[in-house]
Amino acid sequence: MSVLDIAKGMGVTLGHLFKKPVTVRYPDEPVDIKPRFRGRHHLLRHPSGLEKCIGCSLCAAACPAYAIYVEAAENDPNDPTSPGERYAKIYEINMLRCIFCGMCEEACPTGAIVLGHEFELADFRYPDFVYGKEDMLVGTKGSKWQRREAQAKNEDVKLGFKAGPRPELEGVDY
Amino acid sequence: MKVKVNDAELELKAGTSAIDAIFAAGYDVPYFCSQEYMSPIGACRMCLAKIGAPRKDRDSGEWIIDEQTGEPKIFFFPNLMASCTTAIMEGMVIDTLSKEVKDAQNGMIEFTLVNHPLDCPTCDKGGACELQDRAYEYGAGQSRFVFDKRHQEKHHALSELITLDRERCIHCKRCVRYFEEIPGDEVLDFIERGVHSYIGTLEDGLPSNFTGNITDFCPVGALLDSTSRFRGRNWEYDHTRSSCLDCAVGCAITIDARTGRIERIKAARNTQVNNDWICDGGRFGHEYVDADERLKTPLIRRDGKLTPSTWEEAAAFINDKLADLGAKETGIILRADATLEEGVAAKALAAQLETGQLDHFPRLAASVIPQGVRATLNDVATSDAILVLGDVSEEAPIVDLRIKEALKGVTPPELMPHGVPLADLRLKERMPRQREILTVASPYRCDLMKHAGSTLTYPAGTEVELLASLLQAANGEGEISEEAAMRLGSSPEQLNDLLKRLSGAKNPVIIYGAFVLAASEASNAVQALAKAVGAKLLAIGPMANSYGLEALAVLPSHARYSVQEMLRGSAKALIVSGLDVAKDAEAAKALKELELLVVHDSFANATTELAHVVLPAKTAYEKEGTVVNLEGRYLPLKPAPVENGQSEDFCGLVKFLGETMGTRLEGRSVRSARRLLKKRLQLDLSELSEEGYLSPAKAKAASKFKLKESYELEGNLLLTPSMIRHEQLSRNAHLHAVYGDAALRLNPADAVAQDLNDGDVVAFELQGIERQAVIKRSEAVPVGLMLLPALPEQPAALLWLEPTKLIKAAVAEVLA
Repeated sequence: MSVLDIAKGMGVTLGHLFKKPVTVRYPDEPVDIKPRFRGRHHLLRHPSGLEKCIGCSLCAAACPAYAIYVEAAENDPNDPTSPGERYAKIYEINMLRCIFCGMCEEACPTGAIVLGHEFELADFRYPDFVYGKEDMLVGTKGSKWQRREAQAKNEDVKLGFKAGPRPELEGVDY
Repeated sequence: MKVKVNDAELELKAGTSAIDAIFAAGYDVPYFCSQEYMSPIGACRMCLAKIGAPRKDRDSGEWIIDEQTGEPKIFFFPNLMASCTTAIMEGMVIDTLSKEVKDAQNGMIEFTLVNHPLDCPTCDKGGACELQDRAYEYGAGQSRFVFDKRHQEKHHALSELITLDRERCIHCKRCVRYFEEIPGDEVLDFIERGVHSYIGTLEDGLPSNFTGNITDFCPVGALLDSTSRFRGRNWEYDHTRSSCLDCAVGCAITIDARTGRIERIKAARNTQVNNDWICDGGRFGHEYVDADERLKTPLIRRDGKLTPSTWEEAAAFINDKLADLGAKETGIILRADATLEEGVAAKALAAQLETGQLDHFPRLAASVIPQGVRATLNDVATSDAILVLGDVSEEAPIVDLRIKEALKGVTPPELMPHGVPLADLRLKERMPRQREILTVASPYRCDLMKHAGSTLTYPAGTEVELLASLLQAANGEGEISEEAAMRLGSSPEQLNDLLKRLSGAKNPVIIYGAFVLAASEASNAVQALAKAVGAKLLAIGPMANSYGLEALAVLPSHARYSVQEMLRGSAKALIVSGLDVAKDAEAAKALKELELLVVHDSFANATTELAHVVLPAKTAYEKEGTVVNLEGRYLPLKPAPVENGQSEDFCGLVKFLGETMGTRLEGRSVRSARRLLKKRLQLDLSELSEEGYLSPAKAKAASKFKLKESYELEGNLLLTPSMIRHEQLSRNAHLHAVYGDAALRLNPADAVAQDLNDGDVVAFELQGIERQAVIKRSEAVPVGLMLLPALPEQPAALLWLEPTKLIKAAVAEVLA
């Protein structure tokens, strides 16, 4: 190895010293996420406010990890939860089992379930990884733990990412 | 007859339909309207095939020969034929694979789908839908129909049990045909014509006891079981094939469970027993299993309160108490729908405790095993003279259907390589029925009488007299007098006709139920009568395994140890399984005196209130085991995955007790019980086929019947068997909505005399048991008689009840 080689190597290092860094100071700074990133699921609503999910269980059938459990019930015609006769009374996803493959999204006949951008799902207890409807419906921001933390500190949920728009995520506000 | 299907040559019986030839050859055509055991009508036009046959020359009578091949020339029908309504002919050629046929099938699927809403994701049939499957297999995969589809009512409740979606209906007419052909209750029909036609009923609800079957065979999601509405998708259910234990028939059922709950019950096929049908009581009567108040842990009474415990602690507690008692002081009572294996366990436990106080209940006075030639249900269906004594439609509903099958005069179909023929061409829509072969005798006008050629309403309690006078005449020991016949509500001509018909028939069958079994003399008389006229006998026992438990001799060692005696103080300790014996106020008094009362049940009741130990029991749907039905057929029971906590069957109870006693009792598990039964029966019950095994009949000499001057069977209140289980009715919400509370039926004239109106709730005491019933005026009940549904604790019998004791509940409350 000659002195010249060392100088060349140091040159590369010096060159990078003056470039804009690639690393992000997460969690103090938000991460950039690609629009088609597959994170935590969102359950969407129609513009009328009705849930898109009709409780058909096709997502559960498509799920390769058996992470989804759906129990349907009949809509009250005077106060429907979703259009049509059927809605999901219980909708649960076990986030520990989920492999974020997006098959549920593909199987969904109404586009009710879409994998969003949230990825900060770490938590402390097993039961906290089972996300119910209230944890996934549009309007709920952040993972269970983030929401607990925000409530304890009386702050807004702070998400650790920036994301580009994605048309499927209708009504989801990051 | 030689038939060629595509490339397969077959030899089939004349009269076979082309669709069966196709399936027998291993090929497939789509179909929606054809249905096993029902008439083929060719309504859906899906089973189109190109069909041809050789022709004979009119002059010479020789086959017309194709000059090119030298073979008989095949003349094809000008159009494609519906193969379900086409009978095969000698040398017929059937083509199901050509492009012409495929295009036609494809086109028919498209037509069918034109007005079918594609709401498969919300449809309960999705995943088990014939239209879905056939559209996938034979359809084009794409719709060209861009216009508005037909819109009709989406959820029309035909009854509380069945929901009709008129948009989904594809007009196959299966349900309409079913009601006319199988139960003979014409309650459904098409209304309007063409594209506007829909299924409907004139009255509210479906007045039939067999409505649920239409949900099984509806090829689309038009007719659906309301109890399982939106409870799960078809691929999510665990299917368990088992046997129904609601009556003595033991129909094959499929239990569909999900996440530890029974969501629905469907009929399964047993060609020997129930064909494809089950009654509504068996189908919809499962909701109680998932009730919240189900007992799931053993309870021990400590300081006067039942406290949760474990099986081991409970067994130790029982063992301590039993150790202080001597031999013969413990009584064991099993419910008569306990399995054979549980019977073995109970016998082993009784032997261990050195007690002869062992019995099953309800057990009527006479044996449920007929002494004489036993009839099978297929014998009933092929019989040419049937005498029914009692109300079979309520006692064993499927027997009622098999009798109606006999009225059609068509023998059960022979099985083909693919099973029951899809289109039995002998069956027709609105077939003439040979009503004259059926005689129904009952103390009141029962449902089956509508279908009988000859009906006889005898005064309740005169079964023996009726049978005795028939027997006398049959043996040529004397004519039936005008006076005697009048007293029996009949005429000498009718009774003589009946005898002539029975003795003249090739395969006569006498079917009798609880009203005859309630008196051993009546039972002896019916057996003697059967012998005299050469008839086969079918006795309907009070419960699912009455036959088996009696054959296994789960009986007291002495008459003074029967259940009635055990409940009157003959035992110092009692183990009661599945019965609420403390309903009876007098029994409750005796139960309070007991050193130990162990109750093995699924729900808290009056008996558990008094119990020292309460053990959670499995229901009929959760047990593994074997039962013997009314024909003497061993039928398998398989456990459905139901969340039942620590529930155990009686074998489990015996296992835990045996362990604390330090012995290994026979019947400590189903396997151990079956080992013993294998030695005894030369039959391995763990390898029992789905259709069961008919035990060989043991010819026993019939007990002699001696005519006596009088029989003391009198009363004005008849406890009648019923299709629905009244003891669980309050937990079966859907059935309750249709059938309401237990009804006290009486003649309008009597009702007026007592100032009782329809819907009045009356409370009264009957043999120590507090009963409550809704008054229902009915012309079917003769004057002076009242009908009340029996309970397991209060089986069919004729009793006295002073009409003045019928106190309206509202008044009773005020009095209290």
